[in-house]
Amino acid sequence: MKTIWPILGGLVNVAMVLLVAPFCEGVLRKVTARIQSRQGPPLRQPYFDLLKLLGKEDIESGEAPRMQRFAVYLSLATVLTVACLVPMGFAAPLNGAGDVVLLIYLLTLSGICTLLAGLAAGSTYSLLGISREMMTMIALEPLLAVAIVIGAVHTQSFRLDTVLNGSVYGAGFPLSGLVMLGVMLLSFQAFVQRVPFDIAAAETELMDGPLVEYSGPKLALFKYAQMVRLVIYSGLFVALFVPWGSGLVFPLGWLLFWAKVFCLVLLVTVVAATHARYRIDQAIRYFAALLVVSLVALILASYGR
Amino acid sequence: MSVLSKLKETLACLKAGRVTLPYPAQAQPVPEKFRGRPIFDAAKCTGCGGCANNCPAREILLYDVCQEVRILKYLGRRCTYCGRCADVCPEKAITMSHEFENATDSIRDIQQHLDLFMSTCQRCGRCFKEPSPLEQLKLKGYRMDDLGNERWIYRSKAYLDEEPAVDDVKIELD
Amino acid sequence: MIARERLNQLVKKFGDGIRRADLPADNRLFVYVEPSGVKPVCEYLFRNLDARYVTSIGTDDRPFSGKFMVAHNFAFDRDGILCGVLAHLPADNTKVDSISDVVPAANWAEREIRDLVGIEPVGHPYLKRLVLSDGWPDGVHPLRKDVAWDFVPEGYDGERGFKFDDPPAGCTVVPFGPFHPTLDEPAHFRLYVEGEMVRGCEYRGFMAHRGIEKLAESVLTYNDIPMLAERICGICGCVHNVCYAQAVESAVALPPPPRAEYIRTIMLEIERLHSHLLWFGLACHIVGFDTLFMQSFRIREPVMWIAEKISGNRKTYALCLIGGVRWEITPELKAALRAVLDKLEAEWRRVIAAVSKDRNIQKRTRGIGVADKKLVKEVGLIGPVARAAGVDIDCRRDHPYAAYDRVDFDVITENGCDVWSRLLVRAKEVFESIKIIRQCLEKMEPGPLQTEIRDELPVGRLGLAAVEAPRGESHHFIVTGQNNRPRRWRVRAPTYQNLQGVPAMIKDQQLADMTISLGSIDPCFSCTDRLETMDLKSGATKVWTQEELLKLVRARAT
Repeated sequence: MKTIWPILGGLVNVAMVLLVAPFCEGVLRKVTARIQSRQGPPLRQPYFDLLKLLGKEDIESGEAPRMQRFAVYLSLATVLTVACLVPMGFAAPLNGAGDVVLLIYLLTLSGICTLLAGLAAGSTYSLLGISREMMTMIALEPLLAVAIVIGAVHTQSFRLDTVLNGSVYGAGFPLSGLVMLGVMLLSFQAFVQRVPFDIAAAETELMDGPLVEYSGPKLALFKYAQMVRLVIYSGLFVALFVPWGSGLVFPLGWLLFWAKVFCLVLLVTVVAATHARYRIDQAIRYFAALLVVSLVALILASYGR
Repeated sequence: MSVLSKLKETLACLKAGRVTLPYPAQAQPVPEKFRGRPIFDAAKCTGCGGCANNCPAREILLYDVCQEVRILKYLGRRCTYCGRCADVCPEKAITMSHEFENATDSIRDIQQHLDLFMSTCQRCGRCFKEPSPLEQLKLKGYRMDDLGNERWIYRSKAYLDEEPAVDDVKIELD
Repeated sequence: MIARERLNQLVKKFGDGIRRADLPADNRLFVYVEPSGVKPVCEYLFRNLDARYVTSIGTDDRPFSGKFMVAHNFAFDRDGILCGVLAHLPADNTKVDSISDVVPAANWAEREIRDLVGIEPVGHPYLKRLVLSDGWPDGVHPLRKDVAWDFVPEGYDGERGFKFDDPPAGCTVVPFGPFHPTLDEPAHFRLYVEGEMVRGCEYRGFMAHRGIEKLAESVLTYNDIPMLAERICGICGCVHNVCYAQAVESAVALPPPPRAEYIRTIMLEIERLHSHLLWFGLACHIVGFDTLFMQSFRIREPVMWIAEKISGNRKTYALCLIGGVRWEITPELKAALRAVLDKLEAEWRRVIAAVSKDRNIQKRTRGIGVADKKLVKEVGLIGPVARAAGVDIDCRRDHPYAAYDRVDFDVITENGCDVWSRLLVRAKEVFESIKIIRQCLEKMEPGPLQTEIRDELPVGRLGLAAVEAPRGESHHFIVTGQNNRPRRWRVRAPTYQNLQGVPAMIKDQQLADMTISLGSIDPCFSCTDRLETMDLKSGATKVWTQEELLKLVRARAT
């Protein structure tokens, strides 16, 4: 049982994430449409879109097709692996396989896949897109890392199951935890690559940035990876900052988890629908300010506050 | 404050509700003056050729088979639904219908072909009194448009004359 | 008579250089000079008398006078005069001094004259092909009278490409267009980019030529042309329709009846409403704010419905004939229009109140795409672009036409010179348009819609008309001719001038701001490309390299 549980649990997590991610995207599009006074596509639409793309001809038009293929598979693989590390209503199946450092690396790797994708394509617009994506990643990834490290500092451990369990709050509600909550809320849009921070893939400026040379099945997998990213980042946020109720017996804890993720998706939607896109230099300045605040929170945490 | 203005914008949007119309599930009514596909009524048509002379897209062709029979053909390809033919027709034989769902894969669904019997006292197309000198087509004789190739003949030979009667840009004729 | 005063100034300066002058009306002046005198006179008008440059026209007049004709049109906005400087060139020596070094705004117009009529502007600083496609053989000039309207030239060179300039040192080239999600129509901006900053660009356009001016001269008649003119543009069609009709009416002194003038004014302002609301939504979409895009279009939709009720079509109103209009506005339509305007005003006020405090949008539009007063004067920018730079010009007030002399309205100017100012100008002009329509509905008297035309129109008369399109001044030039059709018709749409200012507006700015800067002039490429050469249709929907695309395109065309 001990060896089967991680495998089974992993499969369950991956299956849940794959099933729910397009639904979350559908909710996002539907709610955006209602805010825009229109009907919007049916909730099932992202499933149809993915199916349609998978059925299309795979035109390989970039500079390095083999690297392009590798980037696609790696992108989906990393996010699905992270899905196995995030507790989704029950203990994460691959808890013992690694610690938070692995988590941070995997998340960074999924960002690097986008860079690889753009670089392998080699077209002017994709190169511009990856330069923006690189700048964003440099400013953004540290924020999540600091949040996780604060959790590690409070719980004095790097283990996944202790850190990803509201560890940011430690005992009581330290100031560092609340500050990090604020920072993460303000930067969440950027992690999930939605307006106002979807700068790397700005449709009206860069024609989808790094993904410009991808079509058909490869584009389907990339889009899937983006949808899954929304779900796992929401899951991480819930695990770090809103963990209450995760100890409840199955299936209550499991349902509560997905309800929280759903609320986060709604928040992302409303913010995305009501803002214009920022420019890369404005976004970097914004993240830099948040980074300074998060470092202050880290210092507070190391002093036990 | 930016957040307040965002909230105001969102409230304004939500107040408007959903404005998507259920077309094509439900038919979309058009106003009375809507200019849809022109319909030619052969019973009223006198074959004056006013519509053919004043169609900006040159989509109405005339061809005289003999002295008594004139063919009027509405091609409908480049028709812009401007309604000039309907304006100019002295018999009100053309109506701009309300049909706008005209997509078809066979142009024959749109084309209208009228065979008109011209009574014996016709006077070479001058029975049509143009509303103004600007609607005049400087043409002596009958129109002999190229129905087979669906082309207006810009340089038309008069029925009985040897010389062409319209001074236009020189093009090769068959 | 102010036109006479201006003429006197010219005669005082140039004496015999002015061979002949026509003053057909208080606000029209046609001055004939020798070819050698064209440049000094234009320079004097532009620099000393501070006239605004409008356009340059080349005509093949050989069948009638045995000569070619070149015209440079200027406008005295403060006096309300449109003025043309004309010169006849002998058929064997089609060269004239270029005025582009003293009047930078004439850059494109002179290149177009060379491409299409074959009149060489001697001394032009940048003499590259503008209008004709790359492979078009040299020496064949489509607008000459010996070239048929459906002429297909031999010797079309499929391999010949456009020789682009080299980028400045340190810059990469980022191609923007011809296929780009932001542009609705094809245009190619070759951006020289250093990192994220744009250092310059080169424009290659005119890919959607349709042969409109040639068709009007060869195939269509006076009353057919308004339907064609309307299709020059999909947003400001009514403007071209009305402007053409006014040009002919001014050439032959055939004014339309007052009720027709009011109806023209109403339809023009309805068009301005729909165009500004559309632009607003588009600008928000370009900066990624799709919600406001949807809202603008929702607020705009009733305007389209009322236009459909009045004219029979949402956009192609098919409004004018020479000497009148075709559609009547009944009392029911008046009431419906008033209701639409009331609702529109209320909703728009709410949107503008929210947007003017929105720092998020302002961050993307303040200080972007700057076009100051100097650029406006040099390049001849017009419309909201000029008004946002504090230059107070508006054809509706300066050169009144239709019923604008009988209504009160303000001309909105701002001083920011950037995209945000243009946004404010257009947003506030919506309220002015509503004001104008309300006044017209009130002041309209019953009457005929069409002037009676008893005789054929006289031949060889010149007509000029200017109409304030939502994008700026739209200018039509007509020479009446035989066989019920004009001898020459030249359309100068506002985007033609405004596009020439774009390279300066996007220079030394970030790449991300390029699209909104371009979008802020409200580009209407269909208006700009009016003439036809070869029509290479393409079905490509993704980004290909230039060679691949050309190969694909040509394979499908043959």
